[in-house]
Amino acid sequence: MPVLTADDVMTATPGREAPTMIALKGIEKVYRTDRIETVALSGIDLDVREGEFISIMGPSGCGKSTLLNVIGFLDVPSGGTVAIGGEKVASYQDRALARLRNREIGFVFQTFHLVADLSVTDNVEIPLLYRRMPGSERRKLAQAALERVGLGSRMHHFPSQLSGGQQQRVAIARAIVGRPRILLADEPTGNLDSQMGDEIMALLKDLQARDKTTVVMVTHDAHQAEQTERTVRLFDGRMVS
Amino acid sequence: MLKNYLKLAWKVLLRRKFFTFISLFGIAFTLVVLTLVTALLDHVVAAYPPETQHARTVGIYFAELRGEHSRRNGLAGYALLDKYARNLPNVERMGVATMASGVFSYVNGQRLKSYLKRTDGTYWQILDFKFLEGGPYSDADVADHRMVAVINDATRQRFFGGQPALGRTIEADGQRFTVVGVVPDVPILRMVPFSDIWVPHTTAKSDSYTREYVGDFMGILLLADPGRIALTRDELWSRLRTVKPDDRAFERLSATPETMFDFLGRMFAAGGRGEGGGYGRRLELVLALAACLFMLLPAVNLINLNTSRIMERASEIGVRKAFGASSSTLVGQFVVENLVLTLSGAALGFLGAALLLQVINGSGLIPYAQLQLNHRIFGWGVVLAVVFGLLSGVYPAWRMSRLHPVLALKGVSR
Repeated sequence: MPVLTADDVMTATPGREAPTMIALKGIEKVYRTDRIETVALSGIDLDVREGEFISIMGPSGCGKSTLLNVIGFLDVPSGGTVAIGGEKVASYQDRALARLRNREIGFVFQTFHLVADLSVTDNVEIPLLYRRMPGSERRKLAQAALERVGLGSRMHHFPSQLSGGQQQRVAIARAIVGRPRILLADEPTGNLDSQMGDEIMALLKDLQARDKTTVVMVTHDAHQAEQTERTVRLFDGRMVS
Repeated sequence: MLKNYLKLAWKVLLRRKFFTFISLFGIAFTLVVLTLVTALLDHVVAAYPPETQHARTVGIYFAELRGEHSRRNGLAGYALLDKYARNLPNVERMGVATMASGVFSYVNGQRLKSYLKRTDGTYWQILDFKFLEGGPYSDADVADHRMVAVINDATRQRFFGGQPALGRTIEADGQRFTVVGVVPDVPILRMVPFSDIWVPHTTAKSDSYTREYVGDFMGILLLADPGRIALTRDELWSRLRTVKPDDRAFERLSATPETMFDFLGRMFAAGGRGEGGGYGRRLELVLALAACLFMLLPAVNLINLNTSRIMERASEIGVRKAFGASSSTLVGQFVVENLVLTLSGAALGFLGAALLLQVINGSGLIPYAQLQLNHRIFGWGVVLAVVFGLLSGVYPAWRMSRLHPVLALKGVSR
């Protein structure tokens, strides 16, 4: 008789919500220069639950990427609180935040941001460099991540030798190699044609479904947003839905 | 992780070959000059044969007569050494020798210049010359005013065509000596053992030197315990305080037993003044400061070059921060990269220095020079390269590590 895991219980029990992974309360982000004050985010309350696939939409300049950066602890809000697993991170210093990002968060960027001088495998290994791990184990995990995204045969290639879609797959492999609980994707298909974009979306959905990875994705594409479980809409730094 | 950093450091060096060449050239040139200076200094003060008992040997090189309005200083005089420096506590032996001075000889109608040094017999017991022929003259030979000489190999070559010289006569400075020994050439930079011809000091044409407190001599002291040099020094000072110079213009006489390095320090850092000691330490500080200042210009250039590369790598920095690199980790990475660059430049510098030293040795610019890159000089060179790498790498690394990850991902480097 199969043993039920906690996941099985949650999905088997109708109406039961997954626990909150990241909780944002009253988030404000203001950019100040000598003369100008720009409010990027105002009064944002958002709970990101385990295993969700959320999209964030809105017009250009409405604060989508800023919100993603706050969720990913890349940026510190001017006001409000951010909590992960119920623990507030306001008091975390640089080293603690770096460790948190390394263990819990994977990032996928619109422009891939692969290091051109490093091979595909070396790029994928980057998150693992900041963990205590022998090189052989790093290599094994990197290989597994590349195979997961369908690029097992491109391990020794360099980014310049790959297509846009392949480069983004490498970036996804880099994002998941450390088995983070949450994947943050900032317009991951923005630099790709529609076919490649569809492939990337399929991959993200697969990661969410099979690996139970929480995915938060910024997108301009309504069709892609419809494929997610929940869409958060921003306008002038405020949530409108 | 280190292998990854080294791999990336190598790739970064290859990315902008021209900048890399400029950086490497600056580092290599700086290292060549500093290595050359270090080799020269090492050649002067470090332990080389025949000064095999260097660690236990100090010298009375400098003496000064001082009065209310008058001052005379220079090398120690024979009278100072003979009357006041013999039988000092903690001294096993004391030898005396002049500085090597130029003299002329005439061989087959040709005028030859040589350097001649006048010594006592104990000089040969303190220094460890390996004789190629014969042996040294003794204190008894000196006392008997015997006209004997020890010559070096180069002199044997010039005067006797390289044939055995033992028992043959050599003429120098208008005097004729019988050769009793032949020794290997000693570099001119070694003040104590260097000469072409050595003769007993009693063969000098005039004995006026025996009455001089400041003259042309140096006392070479072999200590029983170098750690107790203060005992020797204090006793000498005590004796010299009792001296009433014949010349009424002067009131006191001073001299100090010290290492060659301290003596150089006294000459360069103190202007030849002072009864006290510790000038070696001052010279060390002056040299260290000079080395730092000399490295400062190329270091500043390298800082500029490195900082200007921040823009290129802002995206990479942002990615690394996003995936868990702390600021201190990034500083470490970039310092390692810069050390790779400076150590590569240092390797080229050592190669250049080794070639240059060979050229200097062969050129005859410094007679009998045997400048070399030994482990001591190599060690100092590595230290200098690491200091250089840290000087030029820490600030750009610190700047790069402080980039806000969001701005860095946008390619903004300020």
